[in-house]
Amino acid sequence: MRKHAKAFSAARLGIYGFLIISALFFLLPLYVMIVTSLKGMPEVRQGNLLSLPMAPTIAAWVKAWSSACTGLSCNGISVGFFNSVKILLPSVTASIAVGAVTGYALSLWRPRGAALLFGILMAVAFVPYQVFLFPLVRMFSFVGLNSSLPGIIVVHTIFGLPTMTLIFRNYFAGIPLELMKAARVDGAGFWRIFGTIMLPMAVPIIVVAIILQVTGIWNDFIFGLVFAGRENFPMTVQLNNVVNSTQGEREYNVDMAATILTALVPLAVYFISGRWFVRGIAAGAVKG
Amino acid sequence: MSGVTVSAIAKAYGSLKVLQDIDLEVQPGEFTVLLGPSGCGKSTLLSAIAGLDEIDSGTVTIAGEDVTDREPSQRGIAMVFQSYALYPTMTVRGNLSFGLKVKRLPKAEIERRVGKTADMLQLTPLLDRKPGQLSGGQRQRVAIGRALVQDAKLFLFDEPLSNLDAKLRTEMRVEIKKLHKDLGMTIVYVTHDQIEAMTLATRIAVMKGGQIEQYAAPDELYERPATLFVAGFVGAPAMNFFPGTVHGGHVVIDGLSLPLDPLPLAGAVADGTKVILGVRPEHVGLADDGAQGTIVDASTDFLEPMGADTLGWFLLGRHRISCRLAPQRARSVSGLVRLALDLRHASLFDANSERRL
Repeated sequence: MRKHAKAFSAARLGIYGFLIISALFFLLPLYVMIVTSLKGMPEVRQGNLLSLPMAPTIAAWVKAWSSACTGLSCNGISVGFFNSVKILLPSVTASIAVGAVTGYALSLWRPRGAALLFGILMAVAFVPYQVFLFPLVRMFSFVGLNSSLPGIIVVHTIFGLPTMTLIFRNYFAGIPLELMKAARVDGAGFWRIFGTIMLPMAVPIIVVAIILQVTGIWNDFIFGLVFAGRENFPMTVQLNNVVNSTQGEREYNVDMAATILTALVPLAVYFISGRWFVRGIAAGAVKG
Repeated sequence: MSGVTVSAIAKAYGSLKVLQDIDLEVQPGEFTVLLGPSGCGKSTLLSAIAGLDEIDSGTVTIAGEDVTDREPSQRGIAMVFQSYALYPTMTVRGNLSFGLKVKRLPKAEIERRVGKTADMLQLTPLLDRKPGQLSGGQRQRVAIGRALVQDAKLFLFDEPLSNLDAKLRTEMRVEIKKLHKDLGMTIVYVTHDQIEAMTLATRIAVMKGGQIEQYAAPDELYERPATLFVAGFVGAPAMNFFPGTVHGGHVVIDGLSLPLDPLPLAGAVADGTKVILGVRPEHVGLADDGAQGTIVDASTDFLEPMGADTLGWFLLGRHRISCRLAPQRARSVSGLVRLALDLRHASLFDANSERRL
């Protein structure tokens, strides 16, 4: 029964008070968004942000998904969703694959100049993206990759490389070198060791990499805008277009619904994998 | 079965010479132990034989073939590691068969070999477990099994028992010895544990500072250590050392004069030579109990009971000398005693070169 006695101490009260206020602070915008998205325009016009919808309707959601106007076309944000998926799947796969192999090579094979290469990779990771935009556009135009799906995938793979290499390198650095030696004595080569021994051991860090890349690439705006081309604009760019194409009255309920729809994927990833995420980050951070 | 010849192997990390012109010959079926303190280069030498570490110069020949430039997997070797290095995501069966699969052996052959090895090492009930579900001793057996299944020309062991507790280590030592006796394979085995070396080896190479101090059978090594280092490193409790000077057929140690003629010397030692006399504790006895040898007076310092026998420590002038005693006898030892030193088994080293005289 000591638990109950403790629950009402002043310190406890303070902690809970703080937590409740923090939760409200972060949940309030979400609340406003959900409530507004479920209202019809007459209710929105009244301007009562916090009030519950009197006649809840999902009309705004349907419109946001299938018929909201982005610039000239009025096919809703669903186009952006599928574009984002098309960008996301190959980009996440490619960036993780390349990062995992690079990290594995740098930490377990230690070729000449590995430390230098890794240092350069890390240094470049801190250069602001904007610096690369114009040169990259020129280069991509030159090889015919600009404004295309492969172009944006290559961009995401390149910019994901430093982080992916870092987390995989640190993870593999914690693996005993004797394991590598045993595999070499057994006759396995670079790819065989990677595929049959190291990759199965790296599942926790792969999950972390997936979370980082899915959220990162899904939330990307500027690369999508610059490199994907009008046909392939990702959901974030489409959302911006929906919100900004004001012809007549601003439909806040549709904007809200479109925003929530866009945020759903990263949100889902966090909810599903939060446990793995913390574990993997800790595993990757302690060593190396 | 086939031997190994290592000739003039050298390796340096910058200015640190890890291996200095090492020559080593291992006969087919021989169990050679590389023994030495940490940092003596024994593991580096093993890695050089395995081909896991590049060497600066020299050659490695296994079964008559020069393998110096070959990959580890092309050398016909199998290896057991200190940390076992089992593949954690594979079952025991997967661990045993991995190397065979890489070599693309037929499925039936793999199964036959894995079954045979598992049988021999009592691993059959564990075949479908993962390494994480095994005890230390079981993991060690899997590691040995992974080497045996290879049908290699040469087996390399890198401190395979040092992660086990004392009791298990003794058990596994016996198992390894029995395997060698039954299968007669050629083994090079690295350890820093001299008891492991003495019990297992047919020949021991004692290493220090990247060089081999002595390469000889365990008895030879123990009875006639070639250098002061070997004498001090091999044997527990350790050999007693007394620095002195040779004078008129005697070695003079702080006024105490002992005759040289019982010693098994290689030749005459010139007067004035600074020497170190080495006497093992089992060659010191109590003269009053009828022990034979050169008699000296000493006083009892303290006694260390070790179970099977008691180590008696006595003061011989400024020097402390240890002596193996029967425990019952040791209980009544005190005060002044007369010790008999059996100098026929003693060793004499040059104090400068530290080599046996």
